[in-house]
Amino acid sequence: MSKLLDKVLYIDLGEGTYEAVKQPELFEQFLGGSGLAIRLLLKECPQGTDPFAPENPIILAPGPLGGLFPSAGKTVATFKSPITGNLGESHAGGRLASSLKMAGYGAVVIKNSTPTLTLLEISDKGVNFCDASPLKGFSSLEVERRLRGCTAVARMQSLLSIGLAGENKVSYACVNVDRYNYFGRLGLGAVFGSKNLKAISIIGSGSIEVPDPELYKKTFKKVYKEEIETDKMAKYHFTGTPANVLVLNEIRALPTKNFQQGSFEYAEAISGENLGERWLERKVSCPLCPIGCMHIAKIRHAFASGYEYEPLDIYHNYESIYALGSNLCVKTAEEILELIHKANILGIDTMLLGNVLAWATEAFEKRLIDREHTMGLTPTWGGTETYLQMIDQIVLKKNEFYAKLAQGAEKASETYGGDEFAMVLGGNGLAGYHTGYASVLGTIVGGRHSHNNNAGYDIDQKILHQRMKPNQVIKGLIEENEWRYVLTSLVICLFARRVYTEKRIIDALKAVGIERSVNDFKKLGNEIYKLAFDFKFREGFDFNKVKIPKRLFESSTANGKLEESVLTRTLEEYVKNSSIRKTKL
Amino acid sequence: MPLQSTIRLEHPERCIGCYNCVFACSLELFNVVSATRAAVWIKPCSLGDPFIVTICTLCDDPPCIKACKPKALQKDGDGKLKVADPSECKKCETFDCAKACITCALTIDLETDKPIICTQCGKCAEACPHEVITYKEKQQ
Repeated sequence: MSKLLDKVLYIDLGEGTYEAVKQPELFEQFLGGSGLAIRLLLKECPQGTDPFAPENPIILAPGPLGGLFPSAGKTVATFKSPITGNLGESHAGGRLASSLKMAGYGAVVIKNSTPTLTLLEISDKGVNFCDASPLKGFSSLEVERRLRGCTAVARMQSLLSIGLAGENKVSYACVNVDRYNYFGRLGLGAVFGSKNLKAISIIGSGSIEVPDPELYKKTFKKVYKEEIETDKMAKYHFTGTPANVLVLNEIRALPTKNFQQGSFEYAEAISGENLGERWLERKVSCPLCPIGCMHIAKIRHAFASGYEYEPLDIYHNYESIYALGSNLCVKTAEEILELIHKANILGIDTMLLGNVLAWATEAFEKRLIDREHTMGLTPTWGGTETYLQMIDQIVLKKNEFYAKLAQGAEKASETYGGDEFAMVLGGNGLAGYHTGYASVLGTIVGGRHSHNNNAGYDIDQKILHQRMKPNQVIKGLIEENEWRYVLTSLVICLFARRVYTEKRIIDALKAVGIERSVNDFKKLGNEIYKLAFDFKFREGFDFNKVKIPKRLFESSTANGKLEESVLTRTLEEYVKNSSIRKTKL
Repeated sequence: MPLQSTIRLEHPERCIGCYNCVFACSLELFNVVSATRAAVWIKPCSLGDPFIVTICTLCDDPPCIKACKPKALQKDGDGKLKVADPSECKKCETFDCAKACITCALTIDLETDKPIICTQCGKCAEACPHEVITYKEKQQ
């Protein structure tokens, strides 16, 4: 019995062919997830590839614990990102990892493109290439309704799809996974669109075998009990990540009005607690996870007079609330949910959308753009109705201005000015943490320029509450950058990071027949971090060229005002101390 | 002797779609983690809809037993469903037992082509974090 599912499914969209290839060494070295997907990307993506060229591959990799342990079932996608022009790495939950593994695949590589809008049907029998023309322009919600199978064979099915934003190659279009999950950031949806790939259905009708069922059951029970009987994941279960709204507002770290402020007058109204009281309808889970972190709100949208309503159920999390709420000064939870729904229907990442709209509002205020650009619309802080219309125009790329907005705030500011308030680092829009140096530095030195790479925001909060010293920032970020690559190679959900300690992971792997040591993890994390930057440097990333928006030094963070010279100095020191192989600093 | 405890759908509306019941069942019955090789299943018409949890409720006079012409499927002394004579099972070749269950609680194992029978072991209830399924004394 193979302990690691080591089959990679190669799909050629252009030729309409596929082949499953065993690659045991690759899986032995990287286990799965981030490590495997970045390694495959380095191999499959030719240097200098245009993100929208057929040569840009899409790689999907679950991990060795996927489908077997609670909160360890995410899947990593890698590709060249149209928004950063560099390493695209995005993570999604849902049923994808379980379905892929139950269909017998350890990873998928999708190459080339097709002239016809296509649905890929993947199962243990192979791949069907179906004409997806009838789905053109459909939202992912509609694709879900139409393609979700009800038969006994399809009991474990995962559905990936893009909306109109992906079809129209909006650079930050996302891929919806099983209705409530997303490959959200870095534009995988646009890469799908560039290949004419509308949707993928994966049916996992097979089984995952475990070498020692008794040991497996015992170990599983330990993890499961820890998740539901301790407070290690309580936040994600009860209020969910929207609990951050009030916590960050309190310490003045809730980005408001495009990072001009760190607190929001209406924080209470848009808080996770208020959403829980008034709008929350239910919680949904990924396979084997008892937490149910996906918080689903129900609102009724009045579309005409005479009590005409459409019922909407909307998955929401902290990042969407910050991006389309406080950062745009939208003051009610209901309006934020409407904006999130709009983004979901069209298939755009809520974080980057909020980022772009905030830039556009400020650019309009500062008269860098006018009503001619906006086609008669007047964006103002908190102007939800206008924002809803602008989102349509962006997705349709209605004119030159909206086509620029469809490429992100950084590209728009290159044309219209206002780069001092385009809140972008390394090409990616900033997450919702105006906490201090570690958050900014962490975003710059993270492989995908995400707060999730190293949780700099967490280090900042520890410094604020004097549980860490400022001189520990560099060491903390290096350790976290590398350790998180271990977690995301397994692929453990980062919400469960306090449950999955080194010892717990060793036990879990052992229970499914994989022997690894603490030392192995150290080497693995370090190697993957280096690999990520190998790709980044190969594709032209340069620490000296990372533009840092002036706004970050103008408004106060939770830890006070930041100084550019201090940040630059710390960055230089970080790069010197880290294991990154080649730097231009 | 009547059966001591059976599984029951207690709070179906509380399901979060976590599949812990399903995999606990496949492990118990077949020692594998599988969504198809289990006697419990979660029907997802669309993930926007409530999850439909399907379990064998062990009818008093089960239609699956009545449909089994070779009389392979029976209730044993404990009142549990059981394939009493495996050599007779599948002789119908039309899976009449599965067709007879209007809730689709009895399905056919894709590996063996034989019905997957719920043994009323209660492992699914034990695994459920929300008391969607409970394991209790059978109500008269």
